[in-house]
Amino acid sequence: MNDYMKKLISEADSHAEIRSQTSRTRRVSVVGGSLVGNMSSVSKGIGARVYKDGVWGFASQSKCDEESARQVLKSARENAFLLNSGCPKNKGPLDNAQSVYYSEPRAFIDVSQKTLVDFAREVDSYIEKKYPDLTSRHVGLSTGTIEKTLCTSEGSFAYQLFPRTYMIVSMSAEASDGSNIELFDVLGGGEGYFSDYYSDPVLLFPQIDSLYHELMSKKEGIFPDAGETLCIIDSGIAGMVAHEAVGHTVEADLVLAGSVANGSIGKEVASPLVSLTDFAHTAFGERAPLPVYVDDEGTLCEDAVIIKDGILTGYLNNLESAKHFGVKPQGNARAYAFSDEPLIRMRNTAIHPGDHKLSDMIASIDKGYYLTRTQNGQADTTGEFMFGITMGYEIVNGKLGRALRDTTISGVAFNMLKSVDMLSDNVGWDFAGYCGKKQPMAVSMGGPAIRCKVNIGGR
Amino acid sequence: MENLKKAAEYILSSLKDGGADDAQVSVSEGRVEEFNVDAGEFSLIRSVFNSGASMKVIKDMRKGTAAVNQLDKEAVDNAVAECLAAAETGVRDEALSISQKEENLDFVSGALSPDKEAFFRSLIKFNDDVKEQFPEIMLEQVIASYSYGKHVFANTNGVLFTEEDGSYSVSIMYSAHNEENVTSFNCAAVDYLDPNQDILESADIRIMFERAVKELESKPFSGKFTGTAVFSPACLCDFISNITDSFAGDLALIEGTSPWKDSLGKEVAGKDFTLSVIPLSEDIVCGEKITSDGYKAENYDIIKDGILQSFCLSEYAARKTGLSRSPSTSGCVRVNEGEKSLQEIISGIENGILVCRFSGGEPAGNGDFSGVAKNSFLISDGKIAGAITETMISGNLAQMLKNINGISRESVNYGTCIMPYAAFDGITVSGAN
Repeated sequence: MNDYMKKLISEADSHAEIRSQTSRTRRVSVVGGSLVGNMSSVSKGIGARVYKDGVWGFASQSKCDEESARQVLKSARENAFLLNSGCPKNKGPLDNAQSVYYSEPRAFIDVSQKTLVDFAREVDSYIEKKYPDLTSRHVGLSTGTIEKTLCTSEGSFAYQLFPRTYMIVSMSAEASDGSNIELFDVLGGGEGYFSDYYSDPVLLFPQIDSLYHELMSKKEGIFPDAGETLCIIDSGIAGMVAHEAVGHTVEADLVLAGSVANGSIGKEVASPLVSLTDFAHTAFGERAPLPVYVDDEGTLCEDAVIIKDGILTGYLNNLESAKHFGVKPQGNARAYAFSDEPLIRMRNTAIHPGDHKLSDMIASIDKGYYLTRTQNGQADTTGEFMFGITMGYEIVNGKLGRALRDTTISGVAFNMLKSVDMLSDNVGWDFAGYCGKKQPMAVSMGGPAIRCKVNIGGR
Repeated sequence: MENLKKAAEYILSSLKDGGADDAQVSVSEGRVEEFNVDAGEFSLIRSVFNSGASMKVIKDMRKGTAAVNQLDKEAVDNAVAECLAAAETGVRDEALSISQKEENLDFVSGALSPDKEAFFRSLIKFNDDVKEQFPEIMLEQVIASYSYGKHVFANTNGVLFTEEDGSYSVSIMYSAHNEENVTSFNCAAVDYLDPNQDILESADIRIMFERAVKELESKPFSGKFTGTAVFSPACLCDFISNITDSFAGDLALIEGTSPWKDSLGKEVAGKDFTLSVIPLSEDIVCGEKITSDGYKAENYDIIKDGILQSFCLSEYAARKTGLSRSPSTSGCVRVNEGEKSLQEIISGIENGILVCRFSGGEPAGNGDFSGVAKNSFLISDGKIAGAITETMISGNLAQMLKNINGISRESVNYGTCIMPYAAFDGITVSGAN
């Protein structure tokens, strides 16, 4: 396959990419003891994209052979030329594409469906027996690998594997007011195969116990007082701020559409304590949660520094936007399926840690909240954000108090980041989510615990 | 279609040969022709040719499922083996089943071939119209596509449905800009059949663009009150989706967490409120013909005149709970129009908010919700007082339906759902300060 892809792409008369891809997924879902999900899927195909003076054509097929490769390249070229003739931009050729080589050293490792089912059922069985007072329980186990081979007209070649495995456990209980209180957690997992993370379900039981105890305290929880409040947001929520509230606003396609970050390079957008980077494959001296080495335009991936010491320093670019802004592309063009074109996407986006201990940060607040878990978040290109908070505690006189029920925080990202005055010295990551932007994309996000002012929704 | 039927037959016989007691398969082929606009300029044409087969097997009352996107023998044989292996590992569940044979039917609807040239022209016109008539509006992204599909559903009870359809759709993300201000983005989407359709005049796109321009004068809201929230048709559609999932969907009924679990035949909404699932309506573009369980789809009421008529359950959830399977598994819904105009409804509101987009977390199991009212306007003394930002709203979905203040006689057809404006009392509105 590599040979004919290289040969066909070498004949392209303008910048072109061809990518073959196989996505394998296995999922198991146990709801209240019933195995409601027990599936495997394989999706395979070839996609090609061709650039013509400022516009693109893309085509894909679910067949992987030389004739299909020839057809998708031809269709992609026809689409690019059709668009260029109907809506010419006259931007000339792309002259910043790279020629790089990368070949994944690992091999694909499959796991049997039985192994996954047995593992998930054992976890479910533990919860059922130990915590019969729960009103519902859900164990989901997912493992998938995306295998990509990319060839570009400039000579880039990349063979990459993106395996990811994780287990999500959610449980709910009835509160005294009759309402159903829920909580979930990601148990283990990360970038890699099932066998890299899961050997014995017993190893997960302490985390399950902890989740249950949190749920029990939430069941007796209170609603926070609404309004702008001094809070400590934990790493999961800090990661959400980094990704949703800041990261999207600096994606160059959204910058060009007028996001709040447009024209703000070099300006102070956060407290001088805040630095924020979209890491490619290595973060804080360790392998990033979801490393990417070469993007889907054939660009070598580098870290993209977004905020340094409170100053906005850069956007996230693809080849075209990097050319527009006159900067070096850093490998943020990513496609999800073989039938998807590369879009500007984040990779591993995190706020850098500070030098405070979390315990000191909590002790520093007379009245406020420590917010620990979020379920979802949305942000605007204006930087205005809203995150659902599923777990947290009040802080009274420097100590943790009662747990909180579900609430919401909101604010404007750059305003909120300007209020940051303490950051913890550790970083936590969330790697189990998907970012949605026309296509889904596996991304990770992280950060330290942050002391800041944020608008909390109350009930 | 014949090649898809043959593939379906082959998969079913392979699953049977492998020991399946019951099996079902869905085989499809299709194409998508897509135009993209980014930051107001055309950026991409995308052509996707796809295929796929998804299969389910029941063996000793244990279930396995598998999916593959290639229809060659090797790929299909591998998927069949995976499906059977998954069933071997399954958990015995008496609620598992496949659909019973009724009448095998062939369905054909919509635009079966694309008029790519006319579609392109209509998109260029839309882009030009927006630049000329709404210079403040930035089309951040437009995804316009023609989708065509052929689909065969078959099972070992002798069920055999075929379906062929095609349609156009436009999804728009936009905001308004001037020298001083930028508004929150908002989205609009509509499905239709005529490639020459005037997109600016489709659904409520023009009205929403006019509102976006007014949002340039928006101000942060401060203070807090409990009043009336008027939801725009698109926003109401999102809330209805949350309500049907949280209160009437499979998981909520299987787990018994739905506040409506004992409410069939009882009043769950104001008497003017009727919510129906209408995949077969002529107003819906290529609505569902075959349910995901393998039955001919039919329209049905979830709530009629305020009374809960039906949940939205798959056959599995129905068997699991002892309730009835829903006649459609689609999300093509309609809320019936009321008698008052939007203007009349607003004129009766002392303190309220017109919510045109809601950015919020998933509602809690009991229906409590809170989030940011985006692209929204304050209502004061019967009039729209101005656009606001940084405003949160909160309430309870179940209570909200019982506190209906009014439903407009104007409604908007998005091709996938039909919604009026609806006003609900008892919503808490709070500003950042």
